[in-house]
Amino acid sequence: MKILLVEDDATTIEYVVKGFMEQGHNIETASDGHQGLLLATSMKYDLVILDRMLPQLDGLKLLAALRATGSQTPVLILSALSHVDERVKGLRAGGDDYMTKPFAFSELLVRAEKLMQRGFSQPADTELSVGNLVMELLTRKVTLDGTELMLQPKEFQLLKYLMEHPNQVISRTLLFEAVWDYHFDPRTNVIDVHIAKLRRKFEELGFGELIETVRGAGYRLRQGH
Amino acid sequence: MYRQLMNEQELQTDQHLAAEKARYQQMALTLDRRSFGIQVKTADPKTALVVWRNSFDLVGALSLMPDDMPMLPQTREFPILTGGPDKLHILTGGLVMTRYGPVLIATRTDQLATLIDRFVNAAITALMLTIVLTLALGYLFSKAILRRLVQYNRLSRRIERGEYSTRFPVSWRQDEFDMLASKFNRVLDTLENNLAAVRGATDNIAHDLRTPLSHLRIGLEQLPDKSCEELPEACAILTEKLDHCLATFDAMLSLTRIEEGQQTLELQELSLKLLCEDLFEMAEAMAEMNQQTLSVTTGTDVKLTGDKYLLFQALFNLVDNAIKYAGEGAYIEIVQQGREIQIRDNGPGIPSEAKDRVFERLVRLDPSRHNQGTGLGLSLVKAILARHDARVKLMDNEPGLIVSITF
Repeated sequence: MKILLVEDDATTIEYVVKGFMEQGHNIETASDGHQGLLLATSMKYDLVILDRMLPQLDGLKLLAALRATGSQTPVLILSALSHVDERVKGLRAGGDDYMTKPFAFSELLVRAEKLMQRGFSQPADTELSVGNLVMELLTRKVTLDGTELMLQPKEFQLLKYLMEHPNQVISRTLLFEAVWDYHFDPRTNVIDVHIAKLRRKFEELGFGELIETVRGAGYRLRQGH
Repeated sequence: MYRQLMNEQELQTDQHLAAEKARYQQMALTLDRRSFGIQVKTADPKTALVVWRNSFDLVGALSLMPDDMPMLPQTREFPILTGGPDKLHILTGGLVMTRYGPVLIATRTDQLATLIDRFVNAAITALMLTIVLTLALGYLFSKAILRRLVQYNRLSRRIERGEYSTRFPVSWRQDEFDMLASKFNRVLDTLENNLAAVRGATDNIAHDLRTPLSHLRIGLEQLPDKSCEELPEACAILTEKLDHCLATFDAMLSLTRIEEGQQTLELQELSLKLLCEDLFEMAEAMAEMNQQTLSVTTGTDVKLTGDKYLLFQALFNLVDNAIKYAGEGAYIEIVQQGREIQIRDNGPGIPSEAKDRVFERLVRLDPSRHNQGTGLGLSLVKAILARHDARVKLMDNEPGLIVSITF
């Protein structure tokens, strides 16, 4: 996948470029708004990662100009402005997702891959399976090692999100957004509580270690076993 | 008055001269040259001084006839020397042309001049006296004002230097200066209060961030000594601490933005009933984890326009607090009826003297601050609800706390 990163902070550039290269993505960078707009309009990218505040041309203006050319390229906005209204502004200007700095690369990766996949209309999966964990999406039936699990709606949604990203660290913010329609950082253990309930159900079947807590980052669903 | 007097006098002189002019013109017409000369010579000097220049010499009361005298009714003043005690006299007069030659008719205006002089002198004296008195009073008065201004200046400089407890003196006179001074004092009161609040908040922030930051520093210093296996865990712990600091920063910024009205609200129609049901759904599992019972009771629904996300955040914060502080086994209720939402618990509650303080920035009733939190949650709740014109009230549930929000 080909990604364009428009960002002026060298540390962030290095961090993001290294991360995407390791994941096998092709990433190009532009360090100011004009260069970014030039590249974004003249080349074909699968995703543009755009800093909100750029020298010469502001991120949102760049985005508006890009959209004015009819470009449908997914755009993920990176911003040091964390306020809810800034997020709304970014999405209104034509952004597809919004992330606040500082961020964990793992979360950026999940969001970026989700946006890049959007371009390809995959046949809708009716079943998800990770190791011995199987989820039938139509009947909402979940089995672990052949035994059916009784899950609450929120637990089901959380597990579905984790199963869509096996072996990836998923931040609490991502899980929160996936399950609830409210965008705010609750600074509470609401996600942990639901994960704990889910985990307890796995433990009863002897697979408690399937959902791994990654300190300082989030949760990971292990593929193993 | 002076002017009026002058005018009156001048008018009299003019009228007198005009009458004399008419008389002499008449005489010149009716009398012969000799009789006219006698008339001129014997003219009563009290009525008018008359001089007639005939072909040889001057006839009349005056020994000279000045040049450039205007024709009556125009008049001119001219000095004349006499042998009397008042040697110099001022006369006013003009010429009349008769068939025997020009006749100068004049009248003494010394008295008038003296009167004018006296009057002017008196006026000048009065004026001088007034000026001196005014100056003296003005000097004293302005000296008093100046003294106060100098004092104000000195006090202002002290305030500028940071002595915010300085106040301007207010006298018993209650004049404009006192009014100004007491107004300034009121401004200073507000300023001092605000500064104290900001200083308190800044101190608290410093304290709040200092602790995790110093932990971070210690952690970073110890990193090189860690073994490879310990490293990821140690880094993760440090990241968590750092995230906590960032969350505090974010909360501060959001709070300021919402309080100052900088944050634009995402207005949409929302249902209070649905909001409460969503609250329950999100918080239920958390209460369960603490062996608490959470319930939701909804009544007549009310739809209102507001920022759904912000309002949910505020209400969730209140429920979250109830779960955190009500203790194990507590019973927590979310009750919605019309425009009112109550969050009730049967925990330890809040002592009534602390009820006002809990909404202040960074105030935690638990002084050890061991509970993880930014200390800004309730301030944020208050700010968000205030932006939605909602009233918050803390009441006693005997035992426990009722937070009542009325939209």
